[in-house]
Amino acid sequence: MLRPRLRLIGGVCAGFAEHTGLPVNAVRTATLLLTLCGGAGALLYAWLWVTVPSAPAGSGRFATPLPKASLARPSRRARPGSGTAGPAGPVEPPVTARFEPGDAEPAPGVGSAGDPAGSFTTTRAAPITEILLGVALLTAGITLVASRLGAEIPLAVVVPGIVVLAGAALAWRQFADIRSGEAQQASARLVRALGALVLVVVGILLFFVTGDAPNVWTVVAAAVAVLLGVAVVIAPWLLRQARDLADERAAREREAERAEIAAHLHDSVLQTLALIQQKAGPHSEAARLARAQERELREWLFAGTPTGSSDSVDLATELRRVSSLIEADFAAHFELVTVGPNVPEAPEAVVAAAREAMLNAARHAGGTVSLYLETGPRGIELSVSDRGPGFRVDEIPADRHGVRESIVARMTRAGGSALLRPGPGGVGAEVVLTLPAAAAGTAPAGTAPAGTAPPGTPAGAIERPIETRTP
Amino acid sequence: MSEATAQPGAAASAALTILIVDDHSIFRSGLRADLDAGLQVLGEAASVDEAITLVVALQPRVVLLDVHLPGGLGGGGAEVIRVAAPRAPHTLFLALSVSDAADDVVSVIRAGARGYITKSASGAEVSDAARRVDDGDAVFSPKLAGFVLDAFGAVAGETADTIDELDRLSARETEVMRLIARGYSYKEVAGSLFISIKTVETHVSAVLRKLQLSNRHELTAWALARKLL
Repeated sequence: MLRPRLRLIGGVCAGFAEHTGLPVNAVRTATLLLTLCGGAGALLYAWLWVTVPSAPAGSGRFATPLPKASLARPSRRARPGSGTAGPAGPVEPPVTARFEPGDAEPAPGVGSAGDPAGSFTTTRAAPITEILLGVALLTAGITLVASRLGAEIPLAVVVPGIVVLAGAALAWRQFADIRSGEAQQASARLVRALGALVLVVVGILLFFVTGDAPNVWTVVAAAVAVLLGVAVVIAPWLLRQARDLADERAAREREAERAEIAAHLHDSVLQTLALIQQKAGPHSEAARLARAQERELREWLFAGTPTGSSDSVDLATELRRVSSLIEADFAAHFELVTVGPNVPEAPEAVVAAAREAMLNAARHAGGTVSLYLETGPRGIELSVSDRGPGFRVDEIPADRHGVRESIVARMTRAGGSALLRPGPGGVGAEVVLTLPAAAAGTAPAGTAPAGTAPPGTPAGAIERPIETRTP
Repeated sequence: MSEATAQPGAAASAALTILIVDDHSIFRSGLRADLDAGLQVLGEAASVDEAITLVVALQPRVVLLDVHLPGGLGGGGAEVIRVAAPRAPHTLFLALSVSDAADDVVSVIRAGARGYITKSASGAEVSDAARRVDDGDAVFSPKLAGFVLDAFGAVAGETADTIDELDRLSARETEVMRLIARGYSYKEVAGSLFISIKTVETHVSAVLRKLQLSNRHELTAWALARKLL
């Protein structure tokens, strides 16, 4: 049983009606009648209000345990003329007016039942909670009515019985929730556990207190009963602890197994692949294949499971992916070194420009191409350097768009810059792509103790002490 | 380790003596065949215990040490260094690994290795690195340099004010590390920064020392996770 989000007071009547499939108006009337019988209805209402959980906020999961009600309601809606329970608004007011001071929404209790008809999954196998609660309520009602009518009711037995039943129901629900693995709010759990505890204890003590002529045996029985009651209430908590422990252990075992496999592959396969690369020389087909395999295996081993979402890939991963694609076609080997926090979303311009620079390096230089990615408060800096013949921008014919358009112009458009210069020690070529933090937008945030670059930083303002010294 | 580097005398006479420690026999034989003629391989070891025994018995000048090794107490290459180094004062360790995982590398470095190179390095590169270690220099791969920059917060703008500070890199050290991370050789670094190769080597050694001694929390966290402290 759940209390719907849209409610008059506590949503208890609506929830109860929803749960039992009874018309909500009948339930409300019954509650009122019960209230007139010595306040029993109000008490029950208050108690259920406290103990029955609210329906989850998302309407998609609203009516989860209530297939009956969800089925019944739309059909009743569809036939407004079918006397039993028309659209609740007009029928309800005489009864509910007292409950509803503001009356802002017409028949909120029922209106909340706009649940999607598709959610029919039951979360509990047997409705023990409901049966126990039902028995308790029924007994309470019958007793109160009967006593009003003047019948001789052994209240000393009945009242404690009801309380114990209710307590047991609450405790049972704890079990049910645990079995279904449903996440509970800590506060709700506490309230319910305490409620159940108090109810069970009070009920059992009532047996004892109201019993005739207490003797040793009633005392012993009461003590045992209280202990049992407490045990029943606490058991769910213990069960949960045990389950958590088992889960944790299982996870650790899985992790250990994975580590073992990784260690084994690491020691055997990766070594062999490294050896093949070493023996075959950097430009050979065998080395390329071995490298591709090594990369794949390494990713699987160390990166964990591949990330499912393909739309937001971090920059380092994206560069690695581009590397492996290019390595498959050219006799080149990219060595990527990343420094600084990872960029969660790869800026498109940087990736595209980097791909172009890497392709150039692979095509014209080959061999080992160094990729150096540095991310920091100032932004992103990516350097692609090779040891090939090298090139000069001013020597590139104007009709060659590769460098100028794909690298320089692309970076400029993105608010960054690209710099071409001779590679390490004046050999080969180095392309340095920079994207200031302001232009990167999503660039490494929250990792800069020294403060991020001011928003208006011009693209070229990134300080690069090295570059000024290159010949 | 620092005592050993201070006096590279006795052991390093004519040929540079090498011990190869790797649990992979194919790799050992492959590496052995590829090393320079100037390097004399004294032996090979396949496990932690074997390595410790051989290092102590043979007293090689440079040990090419795999990071991941079976045997011993499960400490791998780092354990070899910790146990064997005190009993072989003139021996230097160069870590070899197929892994780029920072904690793997940093564990052996902090145990006392003088450098780290990947196993895909060619025989010539390994030989060169071994010589460099023999000369008392540190050997940094681009990956290691990148890791150092990361771990010391250099890219975030942290720089050391004094040379004695262990937890941060100086501005110059940061520059050197940046260039090494870009794949520059020491010579190329020297050319780019207009300093001598010797100065570059000094900077790299200083960084290595910081890497080994620093209590910076990133490093300590790794060290703690690997039970190094």
